[in-house]
Amino acid sequence: MDKKELLKQVQSLAAQQLVTRDEVTAAFDAGANSGTDVEVSPQAGISHLLYYVGGAVVFLGISVLIWQNWTALNSVTKILCTLGSGVAAYMAAVFLGRDERFEIPSRAFYFISALVMPLGLQVTLHIAGLDTGSSGTQSVVSGILLTTFLLSYLANRKTVFTVFNIIFATWLFFSFTSFMVGGNPYFKWEFWAYCVLCVGLVYALLGYSFSETSQHALTGSLYGFGALCFLGAALALGDWNPHQNIFWELAFPGLVFGVMFLSVYLKSKAFLTFGSLYLMGYILKITSEYFAQSLGWPLALVLTGLGLMAIGYLHFNLKKRYLS
Amino acid sequence: MNPKKNVSLIVGIAIPILMIVLVAISIYAPALFAPAPRINFLYVAGNDYYPEQPYAVEHGTVVKREVKYPEHYTPGVVRFFLHDTSANEDRELSFEEAQKLKLNTNGKSSEGYEVVYGNTESGFFPWFFAGGTDYNAMYLKGHNTSKKLNLQSQGDGRYYYRNRHFLGWIR
Repeated sequence: MDKKELLKQVQSLAAQQLVTRDEVTAAFDAGANSGTDVEVSPQAGISHLLYYVGGAVVFLGISVLIWQNWTALNSVTKILCTLGSGVAAYMAAVFLGRDERFEIPSRAFYFISALVMPLGLQVTLHIAGLDTGSSGTQSVVSGILLTTFLLSYLANRKTVFTVFNIIFATWLFFSFTSFMVGGNPYFKWEFWAYCVLCVGLVYALLGYSFSETSQHALTGSLYGFGALCFLGAALALGDWNPHQNIFWELAFPGLVFGVMFLSVYLKSKAFLTFGSLYLMGYILKITSEYFAQSLGWPLALVLTGLGLMAIGYLHFNLKKRYLS
Repeated sequence: MNPKKNVSLIVGIAIPILMIVLVAISIYAPALFAPAPRINFLYVAGNDYYPEQPYAVEHGTVVKREVKYPEHYTPGVVRFFLHDTSANEDRELSFEEAQKLKLNTNGKSSEGYEVVYGNTESGFFPWFFAGGTDYNAMYLKGHNTSKKLNLQSQGDGRYYYRNRHFLGWIR
């Protein structure tokens, strides 16, 4: 049954007073806020996947074509092959999206355009004489892409736009901060670690805000990448003896346990998994950094092994008790 | 969307914007309050890769040193530059002219500035590392601010790694 038939049926049931407005809105809200994935049959899942794999292969084909014939192609052909293909894929997606039967291929074409447009913009700006390696040009490219996909999202709230908006916004954030910082001697590697920390926090917050919306399918991935970036940056900021940062080395266990506690509250397996993995990494780091010399390497290894077993037990129990 | 989740979305979007604003403030605000640099400095450029320098500063003046180069090594041409910090421009000097200058070899000038190379980690993504970084760029650093120096020997920054050496502040 497609959407039009369903709505017609609701209309007919409403005319016969067999269904009330509250019942319809309650059913709609239950579906929108269920927090579970819509059941997709394995065949449909594979065909959806094939659309995206096909999209990625198209992108690879265009990239290889440009790479192999860079010297043979003239500037107009290069731009047409890359940016032209990206725009054409975007327009095809718009037209396909107007018919519900082609909704999935339409998303695949948006996917192709989101992959090919960055390449097209880089090629175009390179031909225009700009240094595509500079952070300024990268800011322009990511800014154009973000604006395009943000406007597309406002016009048509599809999850594929949200995904690429997050990717392009992250790209713009890093390239624009790189542009501002340049070679400033006051900004060392720690600055980039703080940027990654922020990005991790933002991903987790976005994942939480999407958890009860139609975009809830992104929540798991955002939690995963959020925990990976946040805890990775916090661990890196601790640095290594003798350059260690005591604040971050002491704060890290608190952050890891906080993430593991949140995994129970948010029912997130990604938080629990990354929390456990980073706690293992932290125990290995601290043992080899401080105790390998004083306790001796064999004893340090024994203690590390026991610590890892304890984390494994904690992970298994939390998952079994709260997340299964 | 429930209000708690709305707040998390707003905070999520605000964090990177706030971070960009804070970075801009930390870069541009100290420059407003820092004293303008006035003391000029002398530096030498060239002699690309050989670790031993053919010139040094002894008792406040530039002196020539004997360097034993390997048999088939041709040392690069060494050039002296006087950098005018207030105008941010260079003037090339001959060795004889450079020798007449009285130098203070302290890393930091009496105004609180020092001449340093830029941060080579500039940029986050690998392609910035390959294309956007000028490894030879130098900065005047002090009072929580830094200013990129406009040096005559700047053009070779992509290809010659740190071939400039600060010799001293002009007394």
